[in-house]
Amino acid sequence: MMTSYDLDDAGVVVIVGSGAGGGTLAHELAKRGVEVVLLEAGKHLTPDDFVNDEWGGYEMLSWLDKRTASGTWRAAKDHPFSPSWSCQVVGGTTTHWSACCYRFIEDELRAKTVYGDIAGASLIDWPITLDELNPYYDLAEAKMGVTRTNGLPGLPANNNFKVMHAGAKALGLNVSTGRHAINSIPYDGRPATIQDGFTITGDKTGSRWSTLNVEIPRALATGKLELRPQSRVVQVEHDEAGKASAVVYVDAAGVTHRQKARAVVLAGNCVETSRLLLHSKSARFPDGLANGWGHVGRHYLRHIIQTVWSIFDKPVHMHRGEIMAGMIDDYVRHDPARGFAGGYYIEMNSMGLPTTAAFLEPGWWGRDFVSVIEQYRNMAGIFMSGEDMPQPGNRITLTDELDAFGVPVANIHYDDHPNDLKLRVHGYKTLSAIHAAAGAKRSIEAPSYPASHNLGSNRMAAKAEDGVLDGHGRAWEVPNLFIADGSTFATGGACNPTLTIVALAIRQADFMAERMAAGEL
Amino acid sequence: MNETAITAYKDPKLPPPVDLPEGPEWVGVLKVFDAHVAETLVAAAHTLYPHQTLPERVYRRTVVAFDALAARMPAVAQGFAEFVDLVDGAMPVPFRELSESYRVNTLKGIEATPAFRLVQRSTVRFLYDDLEVWQAFGYEGAAVQLGGYVDRGFNDLDWLPEPPPGI
Repeated sequence: MMTSYDLDDAGVVVIVGSGAGGGTLAHELAKRGVEVVLLEAGKHLTPDDFVNDEWGGYEMLSWLDKRTASGTWRAAKDHPFSPSWSCQVVGGTTTHWSACCYRFIEDELRAKTVYGDIAGASLIDWPITLDELNPYYDLAEAKMGVTRTNGLPGLPANNNFKVMHAGAKALGLNVSTGRHAINSIPYDGRPATIQDGFTITGDKTGSRWSTLNVEIPRALATGKLELRPQSRVVQVEHDEAGKASAVVYVDAAGVTHRQKARAVVLAGNCVETSRLLLHSKSARFPDGLANGWGHVGRHYLRHIIQTVWSIFDKPVHMHRGEIMAGMIDDYVRHDPARGFAGGYYIEMNSMGLPTTAAFLEPGWWGRDFVSVIEQYRNMAGIFMSGEDMPQPGNRITLTDELDAFGVPVANIHYDDHPNDLKLRVHGYKTLSAIHAAAGAKRSIEAPSYPASHNLGSNRMAAKAEDGVLDGHGRAWEVPNLFIADGSTFATGGACNPTLTIVALAIRQADFMAERMAAGEL
Repeated sequence: MNETAITAYKDPKLPPPVDLPEGPEWVGVLKVFDAHVAETLVAAAHTLYPHQTLPERVYRRTVVAFDALAARMPAVAQGFAEFVDLVDGAMPVPFRELSESYRVNTLKGIEATPAFRLVQRSTVRFLYDDLEVWQAFGYEGAAVQLGGYVDRGFNDLDWLPEPPPGI
């Protein structure tokens, strides 16, 4: 029997969202004896529900509610009603992720100091140093079973990697299969990968860490957690003292409930967390909860993400095996000589025919497209994730249109910063050069797909006037309101964000449990 | 069997592909579209993505998927109807009877419309999700039911140097 808490129990911590941040925090708090109610908008699926099917998995796991987009970014043109992408399911986006696990480097946590003043960019330094974060990275890597840490071997080279490797070696680049929260050997009760290539549609075998298969079951086993799936949060309420007091949500039957809370943690990914804060207006917080300085929703980041797909003379069969098991780190460090600030990771990418066709160049049709896609078997993919510049105008706002729950639909505005465009050009040239060095006949520079590395928008800052949250992810203006998702990032860094979200959640659990023990939360 | 022969699989939990009659009576399975709308959309899908080696039935199955979408969503049904009106109104001959160059020019002329976008995106969505198309272009699809690729060629590429173990 799962523990259950009364709606009027004001002693529970309420977490909204069960992904990398919320699911991890729920476990870490429950382990420390804290009573937790975890609200998740999506269903509680099992590995048996998942399918080895790209569109089937996408439709099963994704947050499909309408959003709108504006600005110069390609997503506004290519994906105007789904510019940003995340999951709506127990486990959140960890049911989908491709499990690349890299740490921020020290320069990235001091972006303002290291990169200097950049016109139009709202850079700040993180309120946390790498020394403070490293012990939590260690804990995160151990719990997630990250390859090349804790004595775990790297993932083996697959076909797509062989192409990347040949090109990288020819150019003298530092290439490996990288680090992933995917078991290369059995670990922590989970099996080694069978290389089915469907990590991103739920992962039926459980070789890849997720909060669905690791954190949430263990949190439930403590007897301290109540998980409520299909619970769509619509508002966060506060008391007369200005502290968060309750969360209003709608259950699967459409019934509205109010769960009282000792503390509230939002972990719904950038768009939903920002939307909830902006929508939770009151006389005391007329512009939305914790938004006195006007930073909620602003400085939204989504990384410089793009893929080059190339055609070779012979078969690659890139769909076989783990999809992102390759990494080149030569361009990670900030190097002003390149003409732009920040850096990027080169990683591998493979997709099946359905999504390769959809994302190669949305809108492309005719005989040229046909001549490319017909050579799918001979295609290889290479990918990059780079740092984009924070800008105050890149933001999540509420529109006049209401969703089925009466909450305004979010708009995401994003204009590419000149630094972003310089980094994109540099990256495309590098990716294409690697494939050319491996013998590519033709390379296609594919644009970003809907943003999946959603970051910033409720950022941490050393000073209240610079961000929404302090260095523990706690709202400057609401002392018992926390955020535990990528929206807390002060700047984006270059690497895939999940490992950092998990490390920050463990650190936040330490902080919250300490404050509670001290009677201060 | 040559070295590149593969067998494509749909996940066993998903419904099997639609089995359509080979003749013009295939339109009998449709819930929303009439024969003219259906054949016009098949001609459009074929013009957008003219794969010489694919049989007509894969384009028809794509339009059957459009029809299912239209049956669920009236706004989408309206979009497909608008598309047919647009392409039929462009020339003194119905779109499906145009020669290829005129069909291409007609589509280029309406590229900016929501109706074109709906048809083009929907064609990509469903045409390349068809098992027969997967088989033709070398995509094997679902693998977990066969034990993944760990023993079935995830690292069988042999025309480039083998990376060192543990890289």
